[in-house]
Amino acid sequence: MSAHRWGALADDTAAREIVEVALDAVDGRAEYADVRLVEAEETRVYRQLGAATDARVEHNVGIGVRVLVDGVWGFAALPLADSVDAATAARRAHALAVASAGTSAPIRLPAVEARSGRYETVVEQDPFAVSEDERHGLLSAALAAASAPREVVSAQAGVNAKRQHRHFGSSVGSRQHQHFVETGVLVLVIAAGHGDVQRRSYPNSFHGDTGAAGWEFVLGRDLVTNAARVGEEAVALLTAPVAPSGTADVVIGAQQLSLQIHESAGHALELDRMIGDEANFAGTSFIGVEDIGRLRYGSPAVTITSDPTVPGTRGSFAFDDEGTPARRRALVEGGVIRNALSNLDSVARTGVALTGAARADGWAYPPVCFATHVHLEPGSGSLDELCDRLGDGYYIEDNRSWSIDERRLNFQFGTEVAYEVRDGKRGRLLKNFSYGGITPRFWNSVEAVAGPDEARTFGYPCGKGEPKQWSFLSHGAAPALVRGLRIGVA
Amino acid sequence: MTGFSAPLSAERAIATVESAARAGGADQVEATLLARAGEYTRFAGDRVHQPQDITEVLVRVRAVVDGHAGTVSTSRLDRVPDAVRSAAALARDLARVAGRPGTARVGDPAPATDPDLWHEDTAAFDAAARVGLAGRAMRAAGAAGGSAAGMIGRAATRIAVATSTGISRHAVATEATGSLTVATGTGSSQWTDLHRSSGALRTGAAIDTAIARALASRGRVEPAPGTYTVVLGPQATAELLGFLGVLGFSGDLAAAGVGVCATRAGQAVASPLVTVADDAHHPYGLPIPFDVEGTPKTRVPLLTGGVVGDPVTDLATATHPTGHAHTAREAAPAPVPANVVMDPGQATEAELISGVERGVYVERFWYTRLVDRQASTITGVSRDACFRITDGAIAEPLAGARFTQSIFDFLATVDGVGDVLQAQPIMNVWNGAVSAPAVRGHGFRFGVA
Repeated sequence: MSAHRWGALADDTAAREIVEVALDAVDGRAEYADVRLVEAEETRVYRQLGAATDARVEHNVGIGVRVLVDGVWGFAALPLADSVDAATAARRAHALAVASAGTSAPIRLPAVEARSGRYETVVEQDPFAVSEDERHGLLSAALAAASAPREVVSAQAGVNAKRQHRHFGSSVGSRQHQHFVETGVLVLVIAAGHGDVQRRSYPNSFHGDTGAAGWEFVLGRDLVTNAARVGEEAVALLTAPVAPSGTADVVIGAQQLSLQIHESAGHALELDRMIGDEANFAGTSFIGVEDIGRLRYGSPAVTITSDPTVPGTRGSFAFDDEGTPARRRALVEGGVIRNALSNLDSVARTGVALTGAARADGWAYPPVCFATHVHLEPGSGSLDELCDRLGDGYYIEDNRSWSIDERRLNFQFGTEVAYEVRDGKRGRLLKNFSYGGITPRFWNSVEAVAGPDEARTFGYPCGKGEPKQWSFLSHGAAPALVRGLRIGVA
Repeated sequence: MTGFSAPLSAERAIATVESAARAGGADQVEATLLARAGEYTRFAGDRVHQPQDITEVLVRVRAVVDGHAGTVSTSRLDRVPDAVRSAAALARDLARVAGRPGTARVGDPAPATDPDLWHEDTAAFDAAARVGLAGRAMRAAGAAGGSAAGMIGRAATRIAVATSTGISRHAVATEATGSLTVATGTGSSQWTDLHRSSGALRTGAAIDTAIARALASRGRVEPAPGTYTVVLGPQATAELLGFLGVLGFSGDLAAAGVGVCATRAGQAVASPLVTVADDAHHPYGLPIPFDVEGTPKTRVPLLTGGVVGDPVTDLATATHPTGHAHTAREAAPAPVPANVVMDPGQATEAELISGVERGVYVERFWYTRLVDRQASTITGVSRDACFRITDGAIAEPLAGARFTQSIFDFLATVDGVGDVLQAQPIMNVWNGAVSAPAVRGHGFRFGVA
């Protein structure tokens, strides 16, 4: 069976009827309405040394309706049992918009064209069809490899997958059906001894790594070999020297750099944040609307792109969650801010370009501005050549801790591993490496970025909004050489 | 009575989980229904920009076969019987693959009391009332030359748990939430509180205070790096206490020999003035009498007079769990503190400040992250209404500054505790809250090494 043929909402006709019920319920009573009808299922097996296995399947189906009434938004969401719920959600959204009127000038949306279509993640092997024997066999082998050293006191290995039908309909006539499949994997090791505790992870230090793909995503990660490696490295860190403090030149690995992009570029360029909508929770941004096209954010080596059309990432789609077609847009070009991550509402209020970055967590939350697949464009050369160019300094990788202020300016990161680099050659392993700085100073200190062969992509979850919703997105990077970084700040 | 209610009825919720628990097909079955109706008035600048009305329902079935558990959840009540069958099949598969008995189990019935957690004032806290408060905040901030952003909400949560061993529990609770950020030029102030009763939020007073503090914090100067005597406001204190779980007060870490409960049990790590418990029956925060496994929540002493107490546990980590099972998303489940409350002291915040000759007042922290579990070190930045304290009084406003600080090293220096509790949500923890007073302590390190 195809990985895409499952669930009650696989059928376009049945789903379309529910969408129409919701739209009909507010027809003529709102200047704009959109409906997201989502059926999602997740499966996961997490195994932990000495603990019971966490094996789960989670299924949900529901509808979220957003309306604009006299220039005021209303949003309502309900789990779906039948088409009555669709009409109820629409009526509740309308009532809430009416109740919320009178506080401001009305929103007038830009002209929106009807766009319809279908999209499916390319899947080679359905992750929901993988046998328990295969999943557990892999995790058992990974746990055994990771925990081989006696100093490893905690080890965790897991695989997960998610599939979801996302139907979208709007009052301008858009009708879309996207079916996404994501698959992920993680290993996390904690070693203790010599008065210290250290962690290592693979393939991403932040909830593992997830991509838009099938089981082939897991098979391509060589989990057992890498589990053994991170187990040994966690133990080696226990007796490694502590990384020094001061100022240094550093080559930052792809994973750590991807998180730096997330925190200091992705979030800083969310247009709703830039105009204050998130001031009470997620924060604001040091970048203003007036900075688009003007602000030198980074060095000429820094070009950061939003591109959901890149296949296989957690930020890949054909339409965002308010129906805008995916498109590739430069956010930072040659170091200068060119675009923001925007949605219809923020564009209506600022007049800047619509970049199709409205994302919502399933059916239960309204779409807000979030990253798509936001990545640093690669430069040229290999990691070894970048270290040659570095000369003396450090090569660091895999995030251990992260913190940044609410304007996305003042940051501090720690990495799981650091290596001394002398005369371009990687040397001693160091622990507890940290660095800090100010976002534009950091990106203006990027001297070079390694080439496309060194580029990697990482899937992330992220939170925003009140009540908090999760978004799932992607960042890519090749290692970069940064000069004059303040290190040893923790 | 108002028309606001939690999703479903008590009868239907209980019948759903009891029917699932009786369905058989596994050695043991646990069924949990989590339902929530939430209305949120989110505003910023001059508009209510995200009014939301969100209903969520989830039934989670955990089936155990030969000590191995499979869990299947669904948002559709008509699919609960399928979920039971699927969970049992998953558990059978796990048992077969493992080839030996596991340790998973469901809980046993235990005596418990169910407090009344329904507050009519919260049920009556409708959109008109919330929009009225949001409008008042925005207008008042505007009149002061600034702007306001925030969220005011009400919710009704229903939880029902039944097991094949005879547990059958149900609770319904209201929840009122208020949060507000006021910005006035370079000044700002933030307030967050939550409670089962909307009346306890004192939202009107909070609006006035936030505006006054935002105005007072204009013209900030950069604090010099160094160590300071500090008075932390309740929100800042709560931020530190929110780390207690990852510092070792969790059964899985304790079992792995990691963290403070494993390495410093019974030792003093904080001042004798610091007493913190996970207390699901405390009126502050978000009390709820049992967890998603149906285990009655017991009061767990985390720090008593500064001495390390016990970790919170679930069925997987303790023979007699404390009722702190956690529905983890994108992470392996581990027990977590869910209603952390620090005992208040006798001092007003002004009295705490009056005892400081040279120091810093911190309204709240932001984006705090663990740096070193062994040393209990976190990093983050101070934010919003922060001030220098000079000769026992609030002096000039201070800009936010990065800090890197050992939590226990700081708590060991606490010599004054405020008399007012304020609650904060714990992110990513169902029904999670930390309630804390202001505290005064010493040697808090701003700046970088």
